[in-house]
Amino acid sequence: MTLDRRRFLQSSLATAGAATWWLNVPSFAAAKGSPELIRRTERPLNYESVRSTFTTRITPVERFYLRNHFDVPRIDVPKWRLNVHGLVEKPLSISLADLQRMPQVTIEAVLQCAGNGRGLFRPQVPGVQWQYGAMGSAEWTGVRLKDVLALARPKQDAAFLQYQGAERPTMNTTPQFIRAIPVQKAMHADTLVALKMNGKPLLPDRGQPARLVVPGWVGDDWVRYLADMELRADEPNTFYYNPGYRFPVTPGPPGAPVPADQMKPMTKVNVKSLLGSLSDGDRLRAGTHELVGVAFSGEAGIDHVDLSLDGGKTWTAAKLDGPATPYGFRVFRHSWKAEAGTHEIACRATDANGATQPEVPVWNPGGYLNNAIDRVRVEVQS
Amino acid sequence: MIRALFVAGALLQLAALAAETTPPPVSEPVNPPADTNALLEGKLPEAPARALVQAKCLFCHTGEYVTMQRLTEKQWQGTVEKMRKFGAPVNDEEAKAMVAYLAQYWKPDLPPQRPVLVPPPPGSVPRK
Repeated sequence: MTLDRRRFLQSSLATAGAATWWLNVPSFAAAKGSPELIRRTERPLNYESVRSTFTTRITPVERFYLRNHFDVPRIDVPKWRLNVHGLVEKPLSISLADLQRMPQVTIEAVLQCAGNGRGLFRPQVPGVQWQYGAMGSAEWTGVRLKDVLALARPKQDAAFLQYQGAERPTMNTTPQFIRAIPVQKAMHADTLVALKMNGKPLLPDRGQPARLVVPGWVGDDWVRYLADMELRADEPNTFYYNPGYRFPVTPGPPGAPVPADQMKPMTKVNVKSLLGSLSDGDRLRAGTHELVGVAFSGEAGIDHVDLSLDGGKTWTAAKLDGPATPYGFRVFRHSWKAEAGTHEIACRATDANGATQPEVPVWNPGGYLNNAIDRVRVEVQS
Repeated sequence: MIRALFVAGALLQLAALAAETTPPPVSEPVNPPADTNALLEGKLPEAPARALVQAKCLFCHTGEYVTMQRLTEKQWQGTVEKMRKFGAPVNDEEAKAMVAYLAQYWKPDLPPQRPVLVPPPPGSVPRK
């Protein structure tokens, strides 16, 4: 008989004697009742998803993480415009209604903060100390960015698309959040100006009324409250593009400084997997448990996920749910007959290009792209 | 004996005078020891630089941005300098006091901050 943790918790709570013991398990507390997020900072809004979120292909909006550099802008949606200018034949200013009248497409894709897992690097690095939950996968619906740009007729020498949202820093001396992607990625058929998340119009904190969706690429490119786009021949030189959000060309030893000219902008998210059905320190009853988690990899899609039930000594293939997806979460599961004792469970994904996860995070000064093999230690009691 | 006591007293007075006129090096603890539990709950310990941090840092963000960090003194110096470049109105003397305060409490060997579970902000969830 297979029992998932929540059902087992419910049956355990039916017996009063077990209640106190089970309530000590943090991930169970999060799974009960209304959704909760881990608050990293209240202002600006930086909230991460709890680990138990990651057992489904699509992340519900209310369980999805939030990442902000500044306060959320309050936008008068009927008056909102998206401006496109720079190296174009016909500068453009379009409304939400204009975008809604254009052909709409839906893409399933993971949004992950480049700093997800920063709090797990040693030595530590400054920044929001995300652990596991600065990621989620959603169905994004909107207009192809290339269709919007086509209306403005980009010139031949346009090589980069620079853009920013409506949010502004508290002090006008603080750099604004300005990002850029190469025109090739901007013109990719799956790059969207999204108006909906999981089938519903974007909510105020989720980028209302429009956000960029750059499937397979790091979250800092997915700018919200989209307001301004400039086609240009060169890369911007603003703080959040240079030196911000950069990764070493050749990572060095942990803690070692990296010269600025040896840092490059991040693009694709690397292959990663996370166990959602168990958290570090959980205590379980002996018996059969279903291990469930999610795996993803930039633009490649997942080939297979291996699980280790003995701390990485041996590995076994997990079952993958549903159809393959190039950009989204692939749910994996495995039936585990747990015996009494302490166990370290690990998961390791391999993508369609053969890339897999490292044993330890690849240290870098910004604390980015942590895709080390996920491990949780649990105690099984007979 | 009396002469020896007099010399010792004079030396103590000189030491006290030196302590008053020589500022302590930044790397030495200059603030009172803090309760680890309070630090892990994200509280800012009472010390002269606390008011500086509240006035100069919490204008743009809440205190968690400070209290979740676990950094070396050099990293805190870099962080404070970055914030000054971003426009935080902090002079050299204030920066030195702030770095000493931050580096003394939120250092690499302090355990990670305890997770705080809260409902999602209202603007991030569908209205019921």
